[in-house]
Amino acid sequence: MKRFIIAFIAAYVFMFLWGWLLNGVLLKDVYAETPNLWRSQSEMMSLFHWIIIGQALVIFAFVMIYASGFAGGGVAAGIRLGILLEIAAIGMRLAIYAVQPFPEKLILYGSVSGLIEMVIVGAIVGAIYKPASVRTP
Amino acid sequence: MNWKKFFTAFFAAFIFLFVFGFLWYATLMRGAHEEVPALFRTKPDFPWLILGHIVMAFFFTMLCVRFVPAGGAGASAALGILVGLVYAGPHVISLAVEPLTTKILCGWIAGGVIQFAIAGALVGAIYKPSSPTTS
Repeated sequence: MKRFIIAFIAAYVFMFLWGWLLNGVLLKDVYAETPNLWRSQSEMMSLFHWIIIGQALVIFAFVMIYASGFAGGGVAAGIRLGILLEIAAIGMRLAIYAVQPFPEKLILYGSVSGLIEMVIVGAIVGAIYKPASVRTP
Repeated sequence: MNWKKFFTAFFAAFIFLFVFGFLWYATLMRGAHEEVPALFRTKPDFPWLILGHIVMAFFFTMLCVRFVPAGGAGASAALGILVGLVYAGPHVISLAVEPLTTKILCGWIAGGVIQFAIAGALVGAIYKPSSPTTS
């Protein structure tokens, strides 16, 4: 349980900082190209708790998958889990692009950064959490 | 890896994800989506929609097969629920950054969890390695 919480906090802190750097700084100009798709800055700040809850949910479910023994153990297993989850998420992103008018480069940058993010999240969780029993042989 | 069973499971997952997506998001949630027309295209871009579902189904099947090697609907459905929760996170974040309604958010979260739970059960039921060498 202790390692679960430490893995959760470490991965969460990384995701929060990564999300801020990517969406709040690097992609700021890309978001500005489609202002009709986004809330105003003040609205976003008033709903900021949903960003924290959403990121916590991603990390909690990720660590749960890992802790359940589905992924095996170790850094490599964590990275494998992150890669498979994120590539499937890229498929979801493409399906969302088909119905929502996001700029192409936002989908591209989001997918590349998402892959890097989940690889690092997987490595962090794999390095910290050691499952007591693994389901894989 | 038993590739024949893998591709059968992938095909079943793809068909299910696509049909469920049509019924849940395009039919049941149509009214909710129409409340915020600026956020959606007037018509879906089908090549991207199909490609997205193929990628999603392929790698979700890979995830189930790789991480639940013994197969079985129950264990794969449990994995599917957790995967659905991982993907629910970005939807929750969307509420803060896009002018979505809570009705849309709840529909997307419930739809995603149900969708991946059933898809996991399907994959687990189809992909059952016959020999212990399949790892």
